[in-house]
Order: sequence, then structure tokens, then C-alpha cells
Amino acid sequence: MTPILRTESVSKRFGGLKAVDAVDVSLAPGEILGVIGPNGAGKTTLFSLIAGSIPPTSGRVLLEDRVISGLSAHRAVRAGVVRTHQIVRPFQNLTVLENVMVGAIYGKVHPRRARERALEMLQFCGLRDRASQLPGGLTLSGRKRLELARALATEPRVLLLDEVIAGVNPVEAQQMALLIRSVREQRGLSIILIEHVMPAVMSLSDRVVVLDAGKKIAEGKPEAVVKDPRVIAAYLGESASTAPPEPASAAASISTPPTNPTPSSTSIPKKKGPGGGS
Amino acid sequence: MSVLPHWVSRPVLAAFLVALAIGAVLPPVLRWSVYTQNLVTLTYLFVAAALAWNWLGGYLGQVSFGHSAMFGVGGFVSARLLLALHLPFWLAWIAGGLVAGLYALLWGHPTLRLRGPYFSIATIGVGEATRLILTYWEGLTGGSSGLSLPIEANLKQTLYFWGLGLMGIVAAASYAMRKSSFGLGLLAIKSDVDAAADVGIAPTFMQDLVLFLSGLAVGITGAFYASYFSFIEPGDMFGFDRSISFVLMAVIGGVGTIVGPALGAVVFVMLRQFLIGSYPQLYLGLYGFLLIVVILFEPLGMVGLFFRIARRTGLVRPELEATLEAKAAPGGAVGEGRTGGME
Repeated sequence: MTPILRTESVSKRFGGLKAVDAVDVSLAPGEILGVIGPNGAGKTTLFSLIAGSIPPTSGRVLLEDRVISGLSAHRAVRAGVVRTHQIVRPFQNLTVLENVMVGAIYGKVHPRRARERALEMLQFCGLRDRASQLPGGLTLSGRKRLELARALATEPRVLLLDEVIAGVNPVEAQQMALLIRSVREQRGLSIILIEHVMPAVMSLSDRVVVLDAGKKIAEGKPEAVVKDPRVIAAYLGESASTAPPEPASAAASISTPPTNPTPSSTSIPKKKGPGGGS
Repeated sequence: MSVLPHWVSRPVLAAFLVALAIGAVLPPVLRWSVYTQNLVTLTYLFVAAALAWNWLGGYLGQVSFGHSAMFGVGGFVSARLLLALHLPFWLAWIAGGLVAGLYALLWGHPTLRLRGPYFSIATIGVGEATRLILTYWEGLTGGSSGLSLPIEANLKQTLYFWGLGLMGIVAAASYAMRKSSFGLGLLAIKSDVDAAADVGIAPTFMQDLVLFLSGLAVGITGAFYASYFSFIEPGDMFGFDRSISFVLMAVIGGVGTIVGPALGAVVFVMLRQFLIGSYPQLYLGLYGFLLIVVILFEPLGMVGLFFRIARRTGLVRPELEATLEAKAAPGGAVGEGRTGGME
């Protein structure tokens, strides 16, 4: 199947730092693609490159056959790619309904139908009874669903979700996972998902891409990827990758030799483990 | 079906038309003196200017301290056109306004990517630079001795109605800009430019457009001012206190609200008329004091005061009030607890 969205060796350099380094990602129609990686791996920068928030240093992003890299953010939205933000950014001065209406009006919906469309999206995201409130009165989970509703109102074809599950309680996380699945099932969207909450990534994603230090280091089925020695190394440090994958995190912490306090030790597990999160 | 856009409220439209009609029949009915009619015409003029300033300063949250530049450019361009080509005055006003709007775009397109205080500081520079350059550009402005326009009989009688019409157009535009879906986009930009772009809003285009329209309208009021007084000079047209007066009118009345700047302009003109006669040295100091009081105690000015009274008497639903206040708030910053107690 031809991918709906793909990046071709896309890179972003900030001064001397290669935040994203020649990454190829492709997204099939109707697919949910998980993007994982330690903090600072370049996941959010990759999203910004795809959504047009920042232009790539080199490489390009294609929506079907159309090059969308270099388009400004609002043009990318018109083209059909929309993102949500890791740190929620509702318009604090507009009501919940108006927030979503903005997405509808400036996406592809005629202003006359915007209200109707926005209410439909709020219903879908479980915020219908909050429509006339200001977003300041919502819980974090509510604001994350508002972010999702606002993005959906633009009638996108590709949805980029930046940590919409992390930080909410387990019950809400479950609801959010169901919501994301129904976005795909009922609305036929293709989704790329950055997430730290491993159980969610494992159950939602059809495929997972792993980034580390700006590079793509692994790609494949979720269950295969988490057993990949390079992935374990990226999360836990080098020596852990030589240990058997199952007790990986335990092995990592034990294998740090207390007799070797020098920073040259490669096995200090200071990064978040794959089981961490919720 | 309705020919009106869906965001037009019929009671508001009716009230607006009635107010304009009353304005039109007042002078013959009340047999105003020349002094009173001057004062009322001047009020219309500054209501229009304050409302137009508010498009940028209130709806978009980009507070300009340089709007005297467009006021002056509009005034001098139209005066020159009247002197050189003997155009009908309304045509000269439109030409002056267009030049002022384009001038606003010229400095605004690069500076509008600054936000908040940084933009405001840039506009102070623009206003002062414009004042200095045009004071020395004698070919356009006549230098510090200014320009005199021919005085026509009954001009002020005619201009009263033109002033009323100008105010009516600007007020209608203020309402439309805030209530239509365009206004939602402006408020979204005020709250968070990048998030607005990420839902499909073109922030650069929208901000440029609003600045152009604001410059156009303020330029036309400047042109009206030139026609009305038949004499203009750069120190008066481009003065920093001119720019400050637009800010003051909006802030006293309620920056970011639809009617606030109009109320503020009425108070401003009346107060000025009273104070400049009795305490010519004091009146600017008093404005400063007023500004501090408003910002400290009622950031939404007279509209905020109205809300306070309405809340006591139960006229306005608290929920509606909270959302209206949030929209007017500078930079969209509102307290988390604003919607508390609503459940």
C-alpha cells in the first residue's frame, strides 16, 4: 500500500546539534504509528518538521505525492496534517466550544457549519457538557481531549498526537486510548503517536519507530521492537543490551558495578525505562 | 431567510440604528451651540479612532503607542490632496486613509512578529521617527508652521453628519470584526500565535490585515480632523501624547471589549475639554493617574465596572461574564480559577 505520509531523510540541525538526523518514516493509510525514544531523542522535533512548525534543514516530507515540508503550519493544516501539543495549549480566552470552532473554521469547514461540527467533535471527545466553559476549568485530561477535539475539527487526514496520554491517571489513560482507537476506526484517520506510556504504545500501535539522538534506530512490530538490543541500549545504556531482554531493567541496575564510580561507565541507567510511565 | 450573517444580533443592530438616527436629529432638535456641536463632532471622531486602535490593541493584544503616525499621515496626505487637486473631501480622506494603512503595513509587517511589550516598544520608535521625519519634510507637511486648508461656509455643519457616519462605520466594523469567525481567529492569535497556526490560522496575514485596517481607519479620522479644523501641524498630529490618547481612551473604557473604547473616548474628550480650560498643565498628569487607577482596580475599565455592578444586581450570568472578560484580557491571560464555582 502506498504510504499516506512519508519523510525522506528529513533532518533538523540546531547549531551544532542534530535534533533529527536523516529520518525516514512512512505511515500507511489508517495506520497507527508509535514513535518512542528517550527524552531528547528528537520525537517532538520530528513532529514539528512534519506539521510545518519548523522547516527541515534537509530532506522532505510528503503527503501522498505532495511535498509539504517548507509549508508553513497553517498550510500544512489545510493540506490535511494537524498536530497536538505535548504541553496543552488551549486558547485560554475562548470557551471550549469556541476553541474547537476555531479549528473547524480555519481548517476546512464552512463557518456556517463550524458550530455544528465543533459540537460533534466535543461529543466525540466527551466534552459536550463543558462547551460553554473556559478551558482553564478543565482537568489535564480534559484539556488533552480538548486539544484532540480542536485538531480533529480541522478535518485532517493525518493526526500527529504528542503525548496525549502521559500525565493523566490510569482510568483516563484507558479512556484516551479508546478514544484514539475510535478516531482511527470511526473517522479513518492515519495517526502518528509520540508516547512515553509503554502499555498504551504497545496496545495502540500497529508499528513502532524508535528514535535515539535524532536517528531512527529501530522500526517494526511493537513486541519485536522492545526486544531489540539497540532499543534497550538506547533506553538503559550499552551493557544492558548484552543482557537477556526480559529482565533487562533489573539487569541494568544490578550490572552497574558499585566499585566503578567513574563516569566512563556506560551502564548508568539514568534514562526512563521502557516500563516506566504509568 | 435572513440576509444578515448569523453573528449579527438583532437587538444590537436595532439599538445601533436607533442611536445613529438620534445622533442625526439631535443638532436641529436641541439647537446646539457651535461649541457643543464642535465637542460632539470631536467625540465622534475620537470614538472612531479609539475603536480602530482597539482592533489591534484589544482584539489582537498588540498594543500600539505609534498610532499618531497613521493619524498624521492620513491628515497630511488628504490635506495636500485637497490643496493640490481640490478633490471632494471624502475622496481625499479615503486616499489619506489608504496611504496611512499602507504606511502601517510598511513598518508593521516586520514588527508584528514581535509580541507584547516588544511590539509596543517598537511602535514608540515608529511614532517618534515618523514625527521627526515628517516635521522636517516641509514639502508634505509644511514643517512646523503646518498647513492651512481653505475655510468653507457651513463646512462644520456638514462634517457633523460625516463624523456621525464615520463613527457608525467604524463601530459596525468593530462589532463585525469581533463577532464574526474572523474575530475568533484574532482572539486565538492573541492567546497563542503558534497554537493558532497549528490549527490552520495564518497569523502573519491576519495581523497584517488588522493593522492595515486599523491604520486605514485612524488615517481617515486624521484626515477628518484636518478638514474639520482647517489647520494642521506636525507637532499636534504626530505628537506622542496623540498616540497615548488612543491608548488611554481604550484602557479607560475597556480594552479588548467592543464598546469600551467608545465609552472611554467620550469620557476622554469631555474630561479634556473641562481640564484643559481650568488646569492646562495638570490634565496629562490626571490621565496618568486615571490610567494607574484603572489598571490597578478595574483592568477592563468602564466595561469592567459595568460587569461589577451587573454581577451585584444579577443582570449578567456569571458564566457569560467570565467568558467576556477572558476575551478582553490582554494576551488571553486569565486566572485558572475564573470558571470556578460554575459546576
